[in-house]
Amino acid sequence: MTGYIIRRLFQLLPVLLIASVGIWAMIYAVPGTPIGAIVGENGTQEQIQAAIERLGLDQPVLVQFWNWFRNAILGDFGFSTQSRQPVLDIIVQRIPATVQLGTGAILIGLILGIPVAIISAVYPGSWIDRSLSGWSALALGVPTFWLGILLILLFSVHLSWLPSASGYVSFWENPLLAIRNTFLPALTLGVYVSGIFARFLRASLLSELKADYVRTARSKGLKERDVIGRHVLRNALLPFVTVVGLMAAAFIGGTVVTEAVFTYPGIGRLLIQAISTRDYPLIQGVILFILVVHVLINLLVDVLYAYIDPRIDYS
Amino acid sequence: MSDGMRRALGFVRRVLQRKGALLSVLFLATVTTVAIFARWIVPYDPVAQDLISTLEPPSARHWFGADELGRDILSRVIYGARTSLITAAGAVTIAGLVGVPIGLVAGFFGGWRDAVLMRIVDVLVSLPGILLAMALIAVLGRSQLAALVAVGITGIPSFARITRAQVLSLRKRDFVMAVEALGGSSTYNMFTTVLPNSWSPILVQVVILSAVAILLEAALAFLGIGIPPPTPSWGEMLRTGKSYLYEAPYYAVLPGIVLTLTILSLDTLGRTLALVLEDRHEVTEEEAEPDRSAA
Repeated sequence: MTGYIIRRLFQLLPVLLIASVGIWAMIYAVPGTPIGAIVGENGTQEQIQAAIERLGLDQPVLVQFWNWFRNAILGDFGFSTQSRQPVLDIIVQRIPATVQLGTGAILIGLILGIPVAIISAVYPGSWIDRSLSGWSALALGVPTFWLGILLILLFSVHLSWLPSASGYVSFWENPLLAIRNTFLPALTLGVYVSGIFARFLRASLLSELKADYVRTARSKGLKERDVIGRHVLRNALLPFVTVVGLMAAAFIGGTVVTEAVFTYPGIGRLLIQAISTRDYPLIQGVILFILVVHVLINLLVDVLYAYIDPRIDYS
Repeated sequence: MSDGMRRALGFVRRVLQRKGALLSVLFLATVTTVAIFARWIVPYDPVAQDLISTLEPPSARHWFGADELGRDILSRVIYGARTSLITAAGAVTIAGLVGVPIGLVAGFFGGWRDAVLMRIVDVLVSLPGILLAMALIAVLGRSQLAALVAVGITGIPSFARITRAQVLSLRKRDFVMAVEALGGSSTYNMFTTVLPNSWSPILVQVVILSAVAILLEAALAFLGIGIPPPTPSWGEMLRTGKSYLYEAPYYAVLPGIVLTLTILSLDTLGRTLALVLEDRHEVTEEEAEPDRSAA
């Protein structure tokens, strides 16, 4: 097992390295000088000098990359050209908001998706299966930004129940206000993931229902409820865990559009702001951060899957 | 009638026998026709401002209402279709022209070529698609070409992986081995025996990725970093419409309906093609759900 994890980590290294080179090279590809991209158009002489020294911009390109890379590994992405704060601090401030939104979305996705999958799988091909499959297709096909707009129209404009723009309130400090603020964006994303969850779990349940042990369980007179609940669901949930994990990985940066709909102050909105103000150190920092977390969660999901399913040969 | 043509017709008939696919094809045909002949169809110039009819609700004069500058929303939706379709066509072409050869070479030769090419593909999927597109736009600047290229690059991994998987399954089949045994060069073998037998999954991918491309283009425009105004784009209309939800709810609703129906139609068509072509009952997750988690 340890060998498997180490091997997977080594496979990741070239990917992370190439990606870092790409992100680093951004400031050389944008119009203008790299130094302008790093300290902004209104940088003072001292800021310019500090950046040149920190990144060795008067040295060969390889040295420049190495300096940037070493600083990045140590968590130093430089300073935002807009707020002049350290990039890492700005990113860290936004993490709780995105995590809270992602968690809410996955919870709603599970609440909506699991029953849909079970009902469809128990009555495959029936009218109820067909209409629930239609629901999944719709959940996946409707763009989240449009769904978000429709939900605002219903809950904020029409019913005036919930705010149309959501701030971030920590769930642990004020649960009610937090739910009030996070519910609409979480529902928007939750509907989308419920489609993925339902579709995946349904397929997984259907293939389990064909297994020999199900016939055995039925033939020994077990009630259908117990066949599904005790045997089939347990086995079908195994691969399902990975899908939930992959969605969690996607949500680290993937809530961008939903955050924009609700002006929710998470990491995604930070990136949009950074792009529209051409704050390149911040853009680089956010993208590198999302990339590393995304890749690591994907790895974690793989390892977790190998761990919980003894049938997988990871030698 | 030639044999090939008869088979093609039979295929089209089997696809259109399914109600969902038939409706999708009809809707897509309408959108495409309207987009091509936009200039003769639109009731108004899509960029002509008419400050007297600002935010006018839908009426006989303006079927979809008028926007904040008094521009006719229906005319803008029609021209927006053109933007969406051009982006989808361009992006899918870029993705296919780069992705298919990558998958072909990686799958056919294996070894170090496979390792190197697929690592590059891994890099592209190490970010969710929309973030990759955003990063590219941060570098390229905001323009119609940048949006098209950015969306196209995000589609490369799907083509590369699908083609590679297909090639791997064909690689050891008798007819491919036979060409090799007869002394056919690798390039000849790749293009004359392997590629022609790989078209079905690639075709399915073209349709499904078109949906993803339209969604991504709209998402970028919605974020304010897509195709710059005044070019009409569905995503841009939703972005502006969102500011007028209280005064003019139709503004953000009507373009969204057209966008959603277009995406759903392409999805349905893609799934049906997969079913008919492969004669299978389930579409695998990788084909059906290319990364669009963010949008």
